[in-house]
Amino acid sequence: MHPLVLTFLIFGIPALIGLTWVFLRGSSGLRSYILTRIALTIPMILILATVVFLVMRIIPGDPITSALGPKGTAEIKERFAEQHGLNDPLAVQYGRFVADVFTLDFGNSLIGSQRPIVDELGERLPATLEMVIPATLLALGLGVFLGTRAGVRRKSATDYGSRIFSVMIYAMPIFWLGLLFQLIFGVWLGWTPIAGRIDPSIPLERTTNLLIIDSIITANWVALRSVLAHLVLPTLTLGLVLSGVFLRLTRINVIETGQEDYVAAARARGIDQGTITRRYSLKNAMIPVITLIGLQVAILLAGAVLTETVFAWPGMGRYLIQRILARDFTAVQSVIVFFALFVAVISLAVDILYSVLDPRVRY
Amino acid sequence: MTKRLLLVLFSFALVVAACTSSEDTTTTTAGVSDTTTTTEAPAATTTTAAPVAAVCPSETGGGTVVIGTTDAIASLDPADAYAVRDWEVLKNFGEPLLKWVPGSADQLQLGIAESMPVPSEDGLTWTVTLREGLLFGDGTPITAELVATQLTRLLTISETGPNQVGLTLGNPYVDSIEAVDDRTLQFNLPAPIAFFLQLLASASYIPANPATFPEDELNVFPTPPLTGTGPWIVTEIVTDESMTLEPNPNYHGDQPKIDRVIVRQFADPQSMALAVQSGEIDIAWRILGAELANELGEIDGLNSVVVPSGPIRYLIINHVLEPTNDPNVRKAIASVIDRDELSDVIFGGAVDPLFSQVPPGFLGATEAFEDLYGSPDLDAARAFLEASGYSEDNKLVLPVWYPPEHYGATTADGVLLVVQQLEATGMIEVTIHAQEWGTYVGALTSGEDYPVGVLGWFYDFPDPENYLQPFIENGGLGTMVTAKDGPITPGVSEELLTLLTASRIETDIDARAAILEDLQAVYADEVVTVPLWIEPEFIVYRDGICGDASLPNPQTLNIGGTMEFSYSVIGTDGS
Repeated sequence: MHPLVLTFLIFGIPALIGLTWVFLRGSSGLRSYILTRIALTIPMILILATVVFLVMRIIPGDPITSALGPKGTAEIKERFAEQHGLNDPLAVQYGRFVADVFTLDFGNSLIGSQRPIVDELGERLPATLEMVIPATLLALGLGVFLGTRAGVRRKSATDYGSRIFSVMIYAMPIFWLGLLFQLIFGVWLGWTPIAGRIDPSIPLERTTNLLIIDSIITANWVALRSVLAHLVLPTLTLGLVLSGVFLRLTRINVIETGQEDYVAAARARGIDQGTITRRYSLKNAMIPVITLIGLQVAILLAGAVLTETVFAWPGMGRYLIQRILARDFTAVQSVIVFFALFVAVISLAVDILYSVLDPRVRY
Repeated sequence: MTKRLLLVLFSFALVVAACTSSEDTTTTTAGVSDTTTTTEAPAATTTTAAPVAAVCPSETGGGTVVIGTTDAIASLDPADAYAVRDWEVLKNFGEPLLKWVPGSADQLQLGIAESMPVPSEDGLTWTVTLREGLLFGDGTPITAELVATQLTRLLTISETGPNQVGLTLGNPYVDSIEAVDDRTLQFNLPAPIAFFLQLLASASYIPANPATFPEDELNVFPTPPLTGTGPWIVTEIVTDESMTLEPNPNYHGDQPKIDRVIVRQFADPQSMALAVQSGEIDIAWRILGAELANELGEIDGLNSVVVPSGPIRYLIINHVLEPTNDPNVRKAIASVIDRDELSDVIFGGAVDPLFSQVPPGFLGATEAFEDLYGSPDLDAARAFLEASGYSEDNKLVLPVWYPPEHYGATTADGVLLVVQQLEATGMIEVTIHAQEWGTYVGALTSGEDYPVGVLGWFYDFPDPENYLQPFIENGGLGTMVTAKDGPITPGVSEELLTLLTASRIETDIDARAAILEDLQAVYADEVVTVPLWIEPEFIVYRDGICGDASLPNPQTLNIGGTMEFSYSVIGTDGS
């Protein structure tokens, strides 16, 4: 089965089950809201696809010139354009593109290997997810933990320390932090690999391209150890940088909810601070944090390009940048449509989570 | 420790450059054998940037060697591939009829040919005999019929691929390829060419295994195992991550000294540098950059060496657009360039200044620009400008374009220094324009927009032809000394075309050298381009890795003027 399909099954089936559960148990307003959001996704993607399609053709440059530089002669460019339908009227090209989107075919890349784009995404999307998910979990765990402690112990040494940490870590250029970790943990201490997803000398049968899962299903524990070791530095780098913003957001919301009447009432009833924090302050403080998680995950699908570059991680961000610079029209269009689908799904999930976390939210 | 931290800080600039840099290059390679011939290609000269490790004892070897690169694979079909990294891989799992002695760029050896090709009297046909008992890596027998069919792919189906390399290296030089008998091939040419042997040693003339590369269809991204005529088999490719090669048991020549090569892909030279420092890779090859390579050379256990070849950098001067359509303006520009200053300031003296578009060592290479314009001569430049009515009060406004990210920080710095040199006349006001590569290169080479711009070049085959022809014919990549449809631009010397044609067909080496010298003199007088410098390439490897001491340039692991890296010569000290 295609790795892209497997990736969707691995992440999509739990999401689908959750959505169905919410849909069936939710109010009629919520059901109507979900159906409306799904219906709105189609025009949203079409508009975005159209804009990207037009922009790629407005900006100067072409795939052959970008790839061959001065060696891309006029004759070669003309033949290439003819072969790939780039000389066709814009309307014809657009019609072809929209048809590809609706058939989820996406066509072939224009340059380099000229492979089907779904194959290229099938290699890169799992790589990105394998890095972004643990990094987000690390960022969330560290940010919420430190943010809560800072919020509860406002103006203490913990608070000041956490705030300084959050600003410093968020302001730190991610590629510089990555290189610093590589130098310290990879070169000086020799604890972790410098780059890549797995030691290339270890054989591993790739089925899903999610190497942790591939290692587990083939019971290849040597590969699993190598995959986990290779994950440490990218996860640490990306997770630490992201934790800064989670920390600040959690802290300010914990402080704000701590001033609410219901918290004062809880205190008056003699409930201990730990319980108040967990059951009252934190739950309410998490609503904006969840919004941020949704946004961050969506951004990171294509936005972890610097982390991917430093750690030689063959993910979506690097792929998109390479293809934009190479003027690979079909690849860029397809990847952006793909992202749009992801963003739509994530933002729908976030909206649904609001209603679960906050009873005041009604659709 | 401070130095290492500085190394990390230096990465700020390099990481950004690494995301996009790629060289406008292509190369040709070769192999091993019985008969060797010396061509007019450049003799290798080597500079070492650091103390060089001793070569390994001949009896050692074995194990796995990991090579790091930032070069990506674009195409692995010989009838389509047109980039340095692609050709490197092709020449390790495939072998053409002729090949370069590893480490050299002037000694051709027999590849899968049994003897050197023989030309007909009129130079229009070349006959070559294949070795006996040749097999592809998968055991498929190789006949002349099969080789003719597979090489003909370059002439027939190359145009369906993204690179269409046949239009550059096939169709202009070869009409057809046919089998005379089981082991004899005949190449039919439309016109005699002086550099046919060099052409045959290029990766485009590797016969591909029909099991992977069908006669009538390109396969630019084949699935391993990739077997061919070369000493290696590509056993695994993980896109954007790694490639594994193991020895080909059916190879006709000596087996590699090591058991396995893994080539790992990096996106950023700084990460690759740290990986070679930590021992995660054994060799860092292309593209490190001078400063990073020099830093690594100072670390115990690492050897950093300059490879005796590299792409050239030069200014494209448009002969149609104002103000460079004025010969005096072109000559003024040529007169002010101080190449020694460029080498010293930008590269710490590590690069060779370039005084002709044909680099030193090639047949007939001269220092035409130094002979004609001095190095530099500001008074002469002012005189040229005054002759066209420019003065300190009426300055020449000269737009200069460059792509800041594509060639890395050093080339960008070089362009800025060139601007200073131009303005030192007091009569030129440069307006400098930076532009992203994808837009820049199309606009510059079309000849329609930019009067002056910087470009890089590395040859497709090692012959002066490939340093001159592209800048003269068919618009000359933006020089516009000829129109796109062929005729010479009015006001430009016809001799450019007549000498170029003469140099292409002259087979007597001395006579050809004389023609090439005359051609470079006319080229400099017309200021077709302004050559600047030869950009150095570096290889860094760990102690315990070694080249073949019996071949040229063992200190660069036998990478010579062709920039070809034959993995077969890599040895280890057994540690």
